Amino acid sequence: MSAELKSSVPPSARSPGHRPVVDSVTTINADGSHHALFPADVRGRFTVWRRYSAHVLISVYLLLPWIPVKGYPAVFLDVAGRRFHFFGFTLATQDVWLLFFGVSGLGFALFFLTALFGRVWCGWACPQTVFLDHVYRPIERWIEGDAPARRALAAAPMTAAKFGRRVAKHSLYIVASLVITHLFLAYFVSIPELWLYLHEAPGDHWASFLFVFIAAGLLYSNFAWFREQLCIVICPYGRLQSALSDDHTMTIGYDALRGEPRGRLGTPDAGACIDCNRCVQVCPTGIDIRHGLQLECVGCAACIDACDEVMIKVHRPTGLIRYDSLNGLGGGITRWLRPRTLVYGFLLLCGAAAATFAFSTVKPVNFLVYRMSGAAYFVGSQEVRNQFMVRLVSKRTTPATFTVRTENLPTGVRQTGFGAPVTLAPLAESVSPLVLLIERKDYHGPFKFTVKVSSSLDKFTLIREVEFMGPDARLLEEEDHDKGIKR
Amino acid sequence: MQSPPPPPDDPGIKMREHIYDGIKEYDQRLPNWWLNTLYGTILFSIVYWFVNVIAGVVPSDGTQIDAAMTRISAEKMASSIDVSSDSKLWEMGRNAVFIDSGRQTFNSLCVACHLPSMRGKSEIPTAVGPDLTDTAWIHGGTPKEIYTTVAKGVLAKGMPAWEPVLGQKKTAEVVAYILSHHQKDEAITLQEANK
Repeated sequence: MSAELKSSVPPSARSPGHRPVVDSVTTINADGSHHALFPADVRGRFTVWRRYSAHVLISVYLLLPWIPVKGYPAVFLDVAGRRFHFFGFTLATQDVWLLFFGVSGLGFALFFLTALFGRVWCGWACPQTVFLDHVYRPIERWIEGDAPARRALAAAPMTAAKFGRRVAKHSLYIVASLVITHLFLAYFVSIPELWLYLHEAPGDHWASFLFVFIAAGLLYSNFAWFREQLCIVICPYGRLQSALSDDHTMTIGYDALRGEPRGRLGTPDAGACIDCNRCVQVCPTGIDIRHGLQLECVGCAACIDACDEVMIKVHRPTGLIRYDSLNGLGGGITRWLRPRTLVYGFLLLCGAAAATFAFSTVKPVNFLVYRMSGAAYFVGSQEVRNQFMVRLVSKRTTPATFTVRTENLPTGVRQTGFGAPVTLAPLAESVSPLVLLIERKDYHGPFKFTVKVSSSLDKFTLIREVEFMGPDARLLEEEDHDKGIKR
Repeated sequence: MQSPPPPPDDPGIKMREHIYDGIKEYDQRLPNWWLNTLYGTILFSIVYWFVNVIAGVVPSDGTQIDAAMTRISAEKMASSIDVSSDSKLWEMGRNAVFIDSGRQTFNSLCVACHLPSMRGKSEIPTAVGPDLTDTAWIHGGTPKEIYTTVAKGVLAKGMPAWEPVLGQKKTAEVVAYILSHHQKDEAITLQEANK
């Protein structure tokens, strides 16, 4: 590769002796130290769209705890109160099994999306990229200037002016990190409670205080220094992608057919690539996309915009670097329907169907029937008795009345408890006894019955099958016979 | 497809000597931050082991648990109610606040067997629980005996132990509510349970 660069690129924008190679990571030097990158500014359509989508995502993150829905924040994971509010839909701790569908759904959706579009998540939606590229890097750009200026500042000796800029930049980083972590805490304690915490001594809520400040410290060091190392070394998704994508997967790639052999403007028989190195200068993970798909690539599309801008300047067609599959870049056809996408899509659909069914079983109340402490059953002179406790957990944000009924009972069964409907305060819980007795003469051994909970407010019924336990009916018959009791 | 041009050779990259199934391995240095994290955890484990096991700066698990249990029982005692004497229980049985709280608990739990009137079998012969308003008692009628019956239950007959469920204070409140239906000087008789 030529070491010469286009004359329009200022020399300070280059990192001499540090050209990206595929055999080692650009940002890790041979001695193991971190090679800090100074990605150049980039303009173009993907940069603009990415900025819009990031600003929407950041706004959603910052605003959700402020928007009230049915008297609670839009998303409020009230761990202390053991209730979880999602846009007016409230879940209790007992519904935690639904989390399975959230986690597996995320997994399958990621599989499906990756098979189709490669790492769109990384480039467009991952909090690491969104916060880094649209909060921290703009701060850095604003305080320290463009890439050549930042490189020069890093190389310059420490002066009062440099010190001032550094302090200003890191102070803003710290403020941004604290805002992000405080809002994160608000998802769990709500905004008014967070406001209260802020006005009280740290010792009063030391666990929350420690969490927020340790998390802010981690965010700060991540976004100030660590940056692309997280994506390259720590995040498992970058490593997984090679197992999820194939030659038909949309990735960001360089059209070697059109571009090679690269050569400066005016070189005879040269390809479209003028070897200006802009794609390398703008890369936030320090790779040369012209080496092909690499695990460092987070799909940010900066190189696409950089290359298109240059191609327009030199009056050549854009798209030398573009979103395309490896097949498409090789002049072949990209097939969207292929076993991989069909299987991933089918699994995603199955999961979505199962999740829809699971969520449809969630009712505004949870209930549980369990036996009272003591023996499983009691045999009296007149009857056999089972004692249960019924626990009701209301997820309504308004007072609600529930009816608890027993059904499918054999003849001769009497019930005490739950003679009247139960009214629960918003989000309240209750535990009440339910006692069933059956006349000895009507008892023919253990049986199953159902307990039903329904609400007058809206039509739903929850059903539990419960076993009435007791001795073998013949034992009671013999006992009664011995005592001469007529059955 | 045409493969991209081969990247330039980097003379700084070393290879491991072995080749397994035709697979060669690079021998590159790990990032310093990664190595330092590893060394840090090793150092931490040594310091942790020294502080906890050798020097005993931090009390052992057993000591910590004992201290925590002592603290818990002290807190329990601080918030518990003295039910050691009949006179204390009678005092609660005359306290409107206690009686009212006890009534609420009674009406949500005890009524299933003893009925809202507290009269149990005397009101409806087929009720599960005995009458708690008369002067005849099956398991003892002194306030302390009533407390024991409610707290520990009579498991053989189906009366559950309520203290583990309600806690000491609520149990005492229920006893206070029962005592509010009785007089201190009334005659108590012991009675066999009519099976």
